[in-house]
Amino acid sequence: MARVKKWFKSRKPKGERKYEEEKREFEMAVGKPFIRIKIEIPEGFEDQRAQFLNLERDEKFLEEVRDLIKKRLTYEKHGVKP
Amino acid sequence: MSMDATIIIFLLIYLLTLLVSAIELAPLSVAALSGALLTAWFGIQYGVFTYEEALGFVDFRLLGLVIGTMIVVEVAERSGLFRVMALYAIKLSGGSPGKLFVFLCVTSAAVSMFLSDPTAMLLMAAATVTITKLLNYDPTPYFLASTVMINLGGTSTLIGSVSNMIIGVEAGMTFTDFVSYLALCEVALWALTILTLYWLFRSRLGEKRELPEYNPREAITDKQLFYRSLFILFLLIFLFLTLENLGVGPEGVALGCAILALILSKLDPAEIFKELDWETIFFIAGFMFIVGGLEKSQFLNILSTQLFQTFGQNSLNATLSTLWFSGIASTIVSNIAVALTFSPIIKLQGFSGLSSSAVWSALVLGTNLGGATTPFSGAVCMMAVGALKREGITVHFGDFTKVGLITSLVQLSFSSLYLILRFGLI
Repeated sequence: MARVKKWFKSRKPKGERKYEEEKREFEMAVGKPFIRIKIEIPEGFEDQRAQFLNLERDEKFLEEVRDLIKKRLTYEKHGVKP
Repeated sequence: MSMDATIIIFLLIYLLTLLVSAIELAPLSVAALSGALLTAWFGIQYGVFTYEEALGFVDFRLLGLVIGTMIVVEVAERSGLFRVMALYAIKLSGGSPGKLFVFLCVTSAAVSMFLSDPTAMLLMAAATVTITKLLNYDPTPYFLASTVMINLGGTSTLIGSVSNMIIGVEAGMTFTDFVSYLALCEVALWALTILTLYWLFRSRLGEKRELPEYNPREAITDKQLFYRSLFILFLLIFLFLTLENLGVGPEGVALGCAILALILSKLDPAEIFKELDWETIFFIAGFMFIVGGLEKSQFLNILSTQLFQTFGQNSLNATLSTLWFSGIASTIVSNIAVALTFSPIIKLQGFSGLSSSAVWSALVLGTNLGGATTPFSGAVCMMAVGALKREGITVHFGDFTKVGLITSLVQLSFSSLYLILRFGLI
Protein backbone atom coordinates (compact mmCIF):
# COMPACT_ATOMS: atom_id res chain seq x y z
CA MET A 1 0.00 0.00 0.00
CA ALA A 2 2.80 2.40 0.95
CA ARG A 3 4.49 1.65 -2.37
CA VAL A 4 1.28 2.32 -4.29
CA LYS A 5 0.78 5.64 -2.45
CA LYS A 6 4.41 6.58 -3.16
CA TRP A 7 3.86 5.92 -6.86
CA PHE A 8 0.71 8.05 -6.86
CA LYS A 9 2.49 10.91 -5.13
CA SER A 10 5.54 10.74 -7.40
CA ARG A 11 3.56 12.66 -10.03
CA LYS A 12 3.27 15.86 -8.02
CA PRO A 13 6.77 17.34 -8.59
CA LYS A 14 5.87 17.98 -12.27
CA GLY A 15 3.54 20.81 -11.20
CA GLU A 16 6.12 22.12 -8.77
CA ARG A 17 8.80 22.12 -11.47
CA LYS A 18 6.53 24.02 -13.83
CA TYR A 19 5.74 26.52 -11.07
CA GLU A 20 9.47 27.10 -10.39
CA GLU A 21 10.15 27.55 -14.13
CA GLU A 22 7.28 30.02 -14.44
CA LYS A 23 8.48 31.92 -11.36
CA ARG A 24 11.95 32.20 -12.89
CA GLU A 25 10.45 33.67 -16.08
CA PHE A 26 8.67 36.36 -14.02
CA GLU A 27 11.74 37.09 -11.91
CA MET A 28 13.72 37.53 -15.13
CA ALA A 29 11.13 39.92 -16.55
CA VAL A 30 10.17 42.01 -13.52
CA GLY A 31 12.94 41.49 -10.97
CA LYS A 32 16.73 41.48 -11.48
CA PRO A 33 17.56 39.22 -14.41
CA PHE A 34 20.26 36.63 -13.92
CA ILE A 35 22.15 34.07 -15.98
CA ARG A 36 23.35 30.56 -15.24
CA ILE A 37 26.53 29.45 -16.99
CA LYS A 38 27.74 25.87 -17.13
CA ILE A 39 31.54 25.64 -17.32
CA GLU A 40 33.36 22.33 -17.46
CA ILE A 41 36.71 21.79 -15.77
CA PRO A 42 39.42 22.82 -18.29
CA GLU A 43 41.51 20.07 -19.83
CA GLY A 44 44.74 19.40 -17.98
CA PHE A 45 43.34 20.58 -14.61
CA GLU A 46 41.53 17.35 -13.65
CA ASP A 47 43.79 16.89 -10.61
CA GLN A 48 42.36 20.18 -9.17
CA ARG A 49 38.77 18.95 -9.13
CA ALA A 50 38.07 20.08 -5.53
CA GLN A 51 39.50 23.58 -6.07
CA PHE A 52 37.46 23.87 -9.30
CA LEU A 53 34.20 22.89 -7.62
CA ASN A 54 34.82 25.36 -4.76
CA LEU A 55 34.88 28.25 -7.24
CA GLU A 56 31.07 28.08 -7.40
CA ARG A 57 30.88 29.44 -3.84
CA ASP A 58 34.06 31.55 -3.86
CA GLU A 59 32.91 35.18 -3.38
CA LYS A 60 36.21 36.62 -4.66
CA PHE A 61 35.93 34.57 -7.84
CA LEU A 62 32.27 35.55 -8.31
CA GLU A 63 33.26 39.22 -7.90
CA GLU A 64 35.86 38.77 -10.63
CA VAL A 65 33.18 37.28 -12.93
CA ARG A 66 30.85 40.22 -12.16
CA ASP A 67 33.67 42.65 -13.08
CA LEU A 68 34.22 40.75 -16.31
CA ILE A 69 30.52 41.08 -17.14
CA LYS A 70 30.60 44.85 -16.45
CA LYS A 71 33.61 45.25 -18.74
CA ARG A 72 31.97 43.15 -21.44
CA LEU A 73 28.67 45.08 -21.27
CA THR A 74 30.51 48.43 -21.31
CA TYR A 75 32.38 47.29 -24.40
CA GLU A 76 29.15 46.19 -26.10
CA LYS A 77 27.46 49.51 -25.27
CA HIS A 78 30.26 52.02 -26.02
CA GLY A 79 32.68 50.00 -28.13
CA VAL A 80 35.51 50.68 -25.63
CA LYS A 81 37.79 47.62 -25.37
CA PRO A 82 38.21 46.35 -21.79
CA MET B 1 -29.64 -10.29 -11.30
CA SER B 2 -32.55 -8.00 -10.35
CA MET B 3 -32.75 -4.40 -11.47
CA ASP B 4 -32.40 -3.13 -7.87
CA ALA B 5 -29.19 -5.10 -7.28
CA THR B 6 -27.74 -3.79 -10.56
CA ILE B 7 -28.56 -0.22 -9.57
CA ILE B 8 -26.94 -0.69 -6.13
CA ILE B 9 -23.74 -2.11 -7.66
CA PHE B 10 -23.40 0.69 -10.26
CA LEU B 11 -24.24 3.32 -7.65
CA LEU B 12 -21.58 1.90 -5.30
CA ILE B 13 -18.99 2.04 -8.09
CA TYR B 14 -20.01 5.64 -8.82
CA LEU B 15 -19.84 6.74 -5.17
CA LEU B 16 -16.58 4.89 -4.54
CA THR B 17 -15.00 6.62 -7.54
CA LEU B 18 -16.13 10.02 -6.26
CA LEU B 19 -14.86 9.27 -2.76
CA VAL B 20 -11.45 8.01 -3.94
CA SER B 21 -11.02 11.11 -6.17
CA ALA B 22 -12.28 13.54 -3.51
CA ILE B 23 -9.89 12.33 -0.79
CA GLU B 24 -7.10 11.92 -3.35
CA LEU B 25 -6.46 8.30 -2.47
CA ALA B 26 -5.65 7.81 -6.13
CA PRO B 27 -5.22 10.20 -9.08
CA LEU B 28 -8.51 11.22 -10.73
CA SER B 29 -7.73 9.25 -13.88
CA VAL B 30 -6.90 6.00 -12.04
CA ALA B 31 -10.04 6.32 -9.89
CA ALA B 32 -12.32 6.89 -12.91
CA LEU B 33 -10.70 4.23 -15.11
CA SER B 34 -10.90 1.65 -12.29
CA GLY B 35 -14.59 2.54 -11.88
CA ALA B 36 -15.07 2.19 -15.63
CA LEU B 37 -13.42 -1.23 -15.59
CA LEU B 38 -15.71 -2.42 -12.79
CA THR B 39 -18.75 -0.98 -14.58
CA ALA B 40 -17.80 -2.77 -17.80
CA TRP B 41 -17.19 -6.06 -16.01
CA PHE B 42 -20.48 -6.04 -14.05
CA GLY B 43 -22.52 -4.63 -16.92
CA ILE B 44 -21.38 -7.15 -19.53
CA GLN B 45 -21.23 -10.09 -17.07
CA TYR B 46 -24.82 -9.57 -15.89
CA GLY B 47 -26.23 -8.57 -19.28
CA VAL B 48 -27.10 -4.96 -18.37
CA PHE B 49 -25.49 -3.85 -21.62
CA THR B 50 -23.53 -5.43 -24.45
CA TYR B 51 -19.91 -4.76 -25.37
CA GLU B 52 -21.05 -2.78 -28.44
CA GLU B 53 -23.37 -0.65 -26.29
CA ALA B 54 -20.55 -0.02 -23.82
CA LEU B 55 -18.36 1.40 -26.59
CA GLY B 56 -20.98 4.09 -27.07
CA PHE B 57 -20.65 5.33 -23.47
CA VAL B 58 -17.57 7.37 -24.34
CA ASP B 59 -18.41 10.46 -26.36
CA PHE B 60 -15.49 10.87 -28.73
CA ARG B 61 -16.78 14.26 -29.90
CA LEU B 62 -16.28 15.58 -26.38
CA LEU B 63 -12.78 14.08 -26.14
CA GLY B 64 -11.97 15.62 -29.55
CA LEU B 65 -13.10 19.04 -28.35
CA VAL B 66 -11.09 18.78 -25.12
CA ILE B 67 -7.89 17.49 -26.78
CA GLY B 68 -8.10 19.93 -29.71
CA THR B 69 -8.56 22.94 -27.42
CA MET B 70 -5.75 21.75 -25.14
CA ILE B 71 -3.30 21.55 -28.07
CA VAL B 72 -4.15 25.07 -29.31
CA VAL B 73 -3.80 26.49 -25.79
CA GLU B 74 -0.55 24.59 -25.09
CA VAL B 75 1.02 26.14 -28.21
CA ALA B 76 -0.23 29.59 -27.15
CA GLU B 77 1.18 29.09 -23.66
CA ARG B 78 4.60 28.17 -25.05
CA SER B 79 4.66 31.42 -27.01
CA GLY B 80 4.51 33.35 -23.71
CA LEU B 81 1.16 34.94 -24.64
CA PHE B 82 -0.41 34.55 -21.19
CA ARG B 83 2.79 35.56 -19.38
CA VAL B 84 2.88 38.78 -21.37
CA MET B 85 -0.73 39.46 -20.33
CA ALA B 86 0.19 39.07 -16.65
CA LEU B 87 3.27 41.28 -17.08
CA TYR B 88 1.16 44.04 -18.67
CA ALA B 89 -1.34 43.79 -15.80
CA ILE B 90 1.45 44.30 -13.25
CA LYS B 91 2.95 47.20 -15.22
CA LEU B 92 -0.42 48.94 -15.62
CA SER B 93 -0.90 48.94 -11.85
CA GLY B 94 2.03 51.37 -11.50
CA GLY B 95 2.81 49.98 -8.05
CA SER B 96 -0.60 50.88 -6.58
CA PRO B 97 -1.80 47.91 -4.44
CA GLY B 98 -5.49 48.52 -5.23
CA LYS B 99 -4.89 48.64 -8.97
CA LEU B 100 -2.53 45.66 -8.78
CA PHE B 101 -5.20 43.66 -6.94
CA VAL B 102 -7.88 44.49 -9.51
CA PHE B 103 -5.60 43.91 -12.52
CA LEU B 104 -4.37 40.57 -11.15
CA CYS B 105 -8.00 39.53 -10.55
CA VAL B 106 -9.02 40.47 -14.10
CA THR B 107 -5.96 38.78 -15.62
CA SER B 108 -6.57 35.60 -13.58
CA ALA B 109 -10.12 35.35 -14.89
CA ALA B 110 -9.05 36.27 -18.44
CA VAL B 111 -6.25 33.68 -18.72
CA SER B 112 -8.47 30.97 -17.26
CA MET B 113 -10.89 31.56 -20.16
CA PHE B 114 -8.30 29.68 -22.25
CA LEU B 115 -5.95 27.84 -19.89
CA SER B 116 -7.09 24.97 -17.71
CA ASP B 117 -7.57 26.11 -14.11
CA PRO B 118 -4.45 24.40 -12.70
CA THR B 119 -2.25 25.81 -15.50
CA ALA B 120 -3.72 29.29 -14.99
CA MET B 121 -3.03 28.92 -11.27
CA LEU B 122 0.64 28.02 -11.90
CA LEU B 123 1.06 31.10 -14.06
CA MET B 124 -0.74 33.50 -11.72
CA ALA B 125 0.90 32.04 -8.60
CA ALA B 126 4.32 32.67 -10.12
CA ALA B 127 3.34 36.23 -11.12
CA THR B 128 1.82 36.97 -7.71
CA VAL B 129 4.77 35.60 -5.71
CA THR B 130 7.30 37.52 -7.80
CA ILE B 131 5.53 40.87 -7.65
CA THR B 132 4.43 40.70 -4.00
CA LYS B 133 7.98 39.73 -2.93
CA LEU B 134 9.44 42.56 -4.97
CA LEU B 135 7.03 45.14 -3.52
CA ASN B 136 7.07 43.57 -0.06
CA TYR B 137 3.31 42.87 0.07
CA ASP B 138 1.53 40.03 1.88
CA PRO B 139 0.88 37.55 -1.00
CA THR B 140 -2.13 35.86 0.70
CA PRO B 141 -4.92 38.28 -0.39
CA TYR B 142 -3.59 38.44 -3.96
CA PHE B 143 -3.29 34.65 -4.07
CA LEU B 144 -6.75 33.87 -2.71
CA ALA B 145 -8.38 36.49 -4.94
CA SER B 146 -6.59 35.01 -7.94
CA THR B 147 -7.85 31.51 -7.05
CA VAL B 148 -11.47 32.67 -6.84
CA MET B 149 -11.19 34.57 -10.13
CA ILE B 150 -9.53 31.66 -11.98
CA ASN B 151 -12.46 29.49 -10.91
CA LEU B 152 -14.89 32.12 -12.20
CA GLY B 153 -13.12 32.91 -15.51
CA GLY B 154 -14.50 31.34 -18.66
CA THR B 155 -17.97 30.64 -17.29
CA SER B 156 -19.60 32.08 -20.39
CA THR B 157 -17.59 30.36 -23.12
CA LEU B 158 -17.74 26.84 -24.54
CA ILE B 159 -13.99 26.35 -24.05
CA GLY B 160 -13.79 28.24 -20.73
CA SER B 161 -13.69 25.02 -18.70
CA VAL B 162 -13.90 21.29 -19.26
CA SER B 163 -17.30 21.19 -17.54
CA ASN B 164 -18.54 23.77 -20.09
CA MET B 165 -17.33 21.58 -22.97
CA ILE B 166 -19.20 18.60 -21.47
CA ILE B 167 -22.41 20.60 -21.08
CA GLY B 168 -22.00 22.18 -24.52
CA VAL B 169 -21.69 18.80 -26.24
CA GLU B 170 -24.45 17.15 -24.15
CA ALA B 171 -26.91 20.03 -24.52
CA GLY B 172 -25.95 20.88 -28.09
CA MET B 173 -25.12 24.44 -27.00
CA THR B 174 -22.90 26.33 -29.44
CA PHE B 175 -20.22 28.91 -28.61
CA THR B 176 -22.72 31.61 -29.59
CA ASP B 177 -25.39 30.13 -27.27
CA PHE B 178 -22.95 30.27 -24.34
CA VAL B 179 -22.05 33.89 -25.05
CA SER B 180 -25.64 35.00 -25.64
CA TYR B 181 -27.00 33.29 -22.50
CA LEU B 182 -24.13 33.93 -20.10
CA ALA B 183 -21.68 36.65 -21.23
CA LEU B 184 -23.56 39.46 -19.49
CA CYS B 185 -23.83 37.37 -16.34
CA GLU B 186 -20.09 36.64 -16.36
CA VAL B 187 -19.13 40.30 -16.78
CA ALA B 188 -21.39 41.22 -13.84
CA LEU B 189 -20.01 38.32 -11.79
CA TRP B 190 -16.42 39.48 -12.42
CA ALA B 191 -17.27 42.98 -11.18
CA LEU B 192 -19.28 41.75 -8.21
CA THR B 193 -16.64 39.20 -7.16
CA ILE B 194 -13.75 41.68 -7.46
CA LEU B 195 -15.72 44.19 -5.35
CA THR B 196 -16.43 41.51 -2.72
CA LEU B 197 -12.79 40.38 -2.66
CA TYR B 198 -11.56 43.98 -2.46
CA TRP B 199 -13.91 44.63 0.45
CA LEU B 200 -12.66 41.47 2.22
CA PHE B 201 -8.95 42.24 1.72
CA ARG B 202 -8.83 46.06 1.54
CA SER B 203 -6.83 46.41 4.77
CA ARG B 204 -4.21 43.80 3.80
CA LEU B 205 -3.13 44.99 0.35
CA GLY B 206 -0.10 47.09 1.39
CA GLU B 207 1.08 50.59 0.47
CA LYS B 208 2.02 52.13 -2.87
CA ARG B 209 5.57 51.24 -3.97
CA GLU B 210 7.84 52.00 -6.91
CA LEU B 211 7.69 49.38 -9.68
CA PRO B 212 10.95 48.51 -11.45
CA GLU B 213 11.23 49.55 -15.12
CA TYR B 214 10.58 46.68 -17.50
CA ASN B 215 9.12 45.99 -20.91
CA PRO B 216 6.56 43.13 -20.96
CA ARG B 217 7.25 42.55 -24.66
CA GLU B 218 10.78 41.42 -23.78
CA ALA B 219 9.20 38.26 -22.34
CA ILE B 220 8.35 37.20 -25.90
CA THR B 221 11.22 34.95 -26.84
CA ASP B 222 9.92 33.83 -30.24
CA LYS B 223 7.95 36.60 -31.99
CA GLN B 224 6.91 34.38 -34.91
CA LEU B 225 5.46 31.77 -32.55
CA PHE B 226 3.77 34.52 -30.51
CA TYR B 227 1.92 36.07 -33.46
CA ARG B 228 1.06 32.69 -34.99
CA SER B 229 -0.41 31.50 -31.66
CA LEU B 230 -2.42 34.69 -31.39
CA PHE B 231 -3.73 34.14 -34.93
CA ILE B 232 -4.75 30.52 -34.23
CA LEU B 233 -6.49 31.49 -30.99
CA PHE B 234 -8.50 34.21 -32.78
CA LEU B 235 -9.24 31.80 -35.63
CA LEU B 236 -10.53 29.21 -33.13
CA ILE B 237 -12.91 31.74 -31.57
CA PHE B 238 -13.98 33.10 -34.97
CA LEU B 239 -14.76 29.59 -36.26
CA PHE B 240 -16.66 28.74 -33.06
CA LEU B 241 -18.76 31.87 -33.59
CA THR B 242 -19.48 31.00 -37.21
CA LEU B 243 -19.90 27.27 -36.55
CA GLU B 244 -23.47 27.10 -37.81
CA ASN B 245 -22.35 28.03 -41.36
CA LEU B 246 -19.57 25.44 -41.41
CA GLY B 247 -21.65 22.30 -40.96
CA VAL B 248 -19.19 20.76 -38.49
CA GLY B 249 -19.30 20.34 -34.72
CA PRO B 250 -17.10 22.28 -32.25
CA GLU B 251 -14.81 19.24 -31.96
CA GLY B 252 -14.10 19.49 -35.70
CA VAL B 253 -13.09 23.15 -35.34
CA ALA B 254 -10.95 22.47 -32.24
CA LEU B 255 -9.12 19.54 -33.85
CA GLY B 256 -8.68 21.45 -37.12
CA CYS B 257 -7.14 24.41 -35.30
CA ALA B 258 -4.98 22.04 -33.25
CA ILE B 259 -3.52 20.55 -36.45
CA LEU B 260 -2.94 24.06 -37.81
CA ALA B 261 -1.23 25.04 -34.52
CA LEU B 262 1.09 22.03 -34.76
CA ILE B 263 1.99 22.87 -38.37
CA LEU B 264 2.47 26.63 -37.91
CA SER B 265 4.26 26.52 -34.55
CA LYS B 266 6.95 24.12 -35.84
CA LEU B 267 7.20 22.85 -32.27
CA ASP B 268 7.97 19.18 -31.59
CA PRO B 269 4.49 17.56 -31.44
CA ALA B 270 5.77 14.95 -28.97
CA GLU B 271 6.63 17.76 -26.55
CA ILE B 272 3.16 19.30 -26.96
CA PHE B 273 1.37 15.95 -26.50
CA LYS B 274 3.44 15.25 -23.37
CA GLU B 275 2.22 18.45 -21.75
CA LEU B 276 -1.52 17.84 -22.37
CA ASP B 277 -3.63 17.23 -19.29
CA TRP B 278 -4.05 13.48 -19.79
CA GLU B 279 -5.20 13.16 -16.20
CA THR B 280 -8.36 15.12 -17.04
CA ILE B 281 -8.82 13.44 -20.43
CA PHE B 282 -8.77 9.93 -18.92
CA PHE B 283 -10.90 11.05 -15.99
CA ILE B 284 -13.57 12.24 -18.44
CA ALA B 285 -13.39 9.00 -20.46
CA GLY B 286 -13.59 6.80 -17.35
CA PHE B 287 -16.33 8.82 -15.69
CA MET B 288 -18.44 8.91 -18.88
CA PHE B 289 -18.31 5.12 -18.79
CA ILE B 290 -19.45 4.97 -15.15
CA VAL B 291 -22.33 7.40 -15.85
CA GLY B 292 -23.19 5.35 -18.96
CA GLY B 293 -23.54 2.27 -16.76
CA LEU B 294 -25.79 4.15 -14.33
CA GLU B 295 -27.93 5.31 -17.23
CA LYS B 296 -28.29 1.75 -18.58
CA SER B 297 -29.31 0.51 -15.13
CA GLN B 298 -32.25 3.01 -15.32
CA PHE B 299 -31.06 4.69 -12.10
CA LEU B 300 -30.57 8.09 -13.71
CA ASN B 301 -34.04 7.85 -15.25
CA ILE B 302 -35.62 7.19 -11.85
CA LEU B 303 -33.49 9.88 -10.16
CA SER B 304 -34.28 12.42 -12.87
CA THR B 305 -38.05 11.83 -12.56
CA GLN B 306 -37.94 11.95 -8.75
CA LEU B 307 -35.76 15.08 -8.63
CA PHE B 308 -37.81 17.08 -11.10
CA GLN B 309 -41.09 15.90 -9.55
CA THR B 310 -39.91 17.13 -6.13
CA PHE B 311 -37.97 20.29 -7.04
CA GLY B 312 -38.78 21.19 -10.59
CA GLN B 313 -42.50 21.23 -11.28
CA ASN B 314 -41.97 24.46 -13.21
CA SER B 315 -39.12 26.17 -15.07
CA LEU B 316 -38.27 28.44 -12.14
CA ASN B 317 -37.89 25.59 -9.65
CA ALA B 318 -36.09 23.35 -12.14
CA THR B 319 -33.60 26.10 -13.02
CA LEU B 320 -32.88 27.24 -9.47
CA SER B 321 -32.60 23.72 -8.06
CA THR B 322 -30.18 22.78 -10.88
CA LEU B 323 -28.08 25.88 -10.13
CA TRP B 324 -27.87 25.36 -6.37
CA PHE B 325 -27.60 21.54 -6.39
CA SER B 326 -24.79 21.56 -8.95
CA GLY B 327 -23.12 24.52 -7.21
CA ILE B 328 -23.13 22.77 -3.83
CA ALA B 329 -22.04 19.44 -5.37
CA SER B 330 -19.10 21.20 -7.06
CA THR B 331 -17.79 22.38 -3.69
CA ILE B 332 -17.27 18.73 -2.72
CA VAL B 333 -16.50 16.81 -5.91
CA SER B 334 -14.87 17.64 -9.25
CA ASN B 335 -17.07 19.87 -11.40
CA ILE B 336 -16.33 17.55 -14.33
CA ALA B 337 -18.03 14.71 -12.42
CA VAL B 338 -20.94 17.02 -11.58
CA ALA B 339 -21.37 18.05 -15.23
CA LEU B 340 -21.18 14.44 -16.45
CA THR B 341 -23.76 13.31 -13.87
CA PHE B 342 -26.24 16.19 -14.18
CA SER B 343 -26.21 16.28 -17.99
CA PRO B 344 -28.06 12.97 -18.57
CA ILE B 345 -30.42 13.76 -15.66
CA ILE B 346 -31.45 17.02 -17.37
CA LYS B 347 -31.46 15.45 -20.83
CA LEU B 348 -33.90 12.74 -19.68
CA GLN B 349 -36.46 15.41 -18.77
CA GLY B 350 -36.68 16.52 -22.38
CA PHE B 351 -37.00 20.26 -21.72
CA SER B 352 -37.57 22.42 -24.74
CA GLY B 353 -37.29 26.07 -25.75
CA LEU B 354 -36.34 28.70 -23.20
CA SER B 355 -36.86 26.29 -20.28
CA SER B 356 -34.17 24.05 -21.70
CA SER B 357 -31.74 26.98 -22.16
CA ALA B 358 -32.43 28.19 -18.61
CA VAL B 359 -31.77 24.79 -17.01
CA TRP B 360 -28.59 24.16 -19.04
CA SER B 361 -27.34 27.68 -18.26
CA ALA B 362 -28.02 27.01 -14.58
CA LEU B 363 -25.90 23.87 -14.79
CA VAL B 364 -23.05 25.80 -16.45
CA LEU B 365 -23.13 28.42 -13.69
CA GLY B 366 -23.50 25.90 -10.86
CA THR B 367 -20.61 23.67 -11.96
CA ASN B 368 -18.33 26.68 -12.47
CA LEU B 369 -19.13 28.71 -9.37
CA GLY B 370 -18.93 26.11 -6.62
CA GLY B 371 -15.31 25.17 -7.35
CA ALA B 372 -13.49 27.58 -5.02
CA THR B 373 -15.43 27.36 -1.77
CA THR B 374 -13.01 25.36 0.40
CA PRO B 375 -9.29 24.52 0.01
CA PHE B 376 -10.41 21.04 -1.11
CA SER B 377 -13.05 22.13 -3.64
CA GLY B 378 -10.76 21.65 -6.61
CA ALA B 379 -7.21 21.22 -7.89
CA VAL B 380 -6.80 24.98 -8.29
CA CYS B 381 -7.56 25.65 -4.58
CA MET B 382 -5.16 22.96 -3.43
CA MET B 383 -2.47 24.35 -5.74
CA ALA B 384 -2.92 27.88 -4.36
CA VAL B 385 -2.60 26.66 -0.77
CA GLY B 386 0.41 24.50 -1.76
CA ALA B 387 2.17 27.38 -3.54
CA LEU B 388 1.68 29.65 -0.52
CA LYS B 389 3.05 26.93 1.76
CA ARG B 390 6.21 26.74 -0.39
CA GLU B 391 6.62 30.48 0.20
CA GLY B 392 6.37 29.86 3.97
CA ILE B 393 2.76 31.04 4.40
CA THR B 394 0.07 28.81 5.88
CA VAL B 395 -3.53 29.44 4.90
CA HIS B 396 -5.91 27.94 7.44
CA PHE B 397 -9.00 26.04 6.33
CA GLY B 398 -11.27 28.60 8.03
CA ASP B 399 -9.60 31.63 6.39
CA PHE B 400 -9.88 30.12 2.91
CA THR B 401 -13.43 28.87 3.45
CA LYS B 402 -14.58 32.27 4.73
CA VAL B 403 -13.48 33.92 1.47
CA GLY B 404 -14.70 30.99 -0.68
CA LEU B 405 -18.07 30.75 1.00
CA ILE B 406 -18.81 34.50 0.84
CA THR B 407 -17.83 34.78 -2.84
CA SER B 408 -19.67 31.55 -3.81
CA LEU B 409 -22.85 32.73 -2.07
CA VAL B 410 -22.64 36.15 -3.72
CA GLN B 411 -22.07 34.52 -7.13
CA LEU B 412 -24.83 31.90 -6.80
CA SER B 413 -27.33 34.44 -5.45
CA PHE B 414 -26.61 36.87 -8.29
CA SER B 415 -26.81 34.02 -10.82
CA SER B 416 -30.27 33.04 -9.49
CA LEU B 417 -31.47 36.59 -10.05
CA TYR B 418 -29.84 36.75 -13.48
CA LEU B 419 -31.42 33.47 -14.66
CA ILE B 420 -34.87 34.59 -13.49
CA LEU B 421 -34.59 37.88 -15.38
CA ARG B 422 -32.74 36.60 -18.47
CA PHE B 423 -35.16 33.73 -19.14
CA GLY B 424 -38.31 35.41 -17.76
CA LEU B 425 -38.91 32.64 -15.21
CA ILE B 426 -41.49 34.58 -13.18
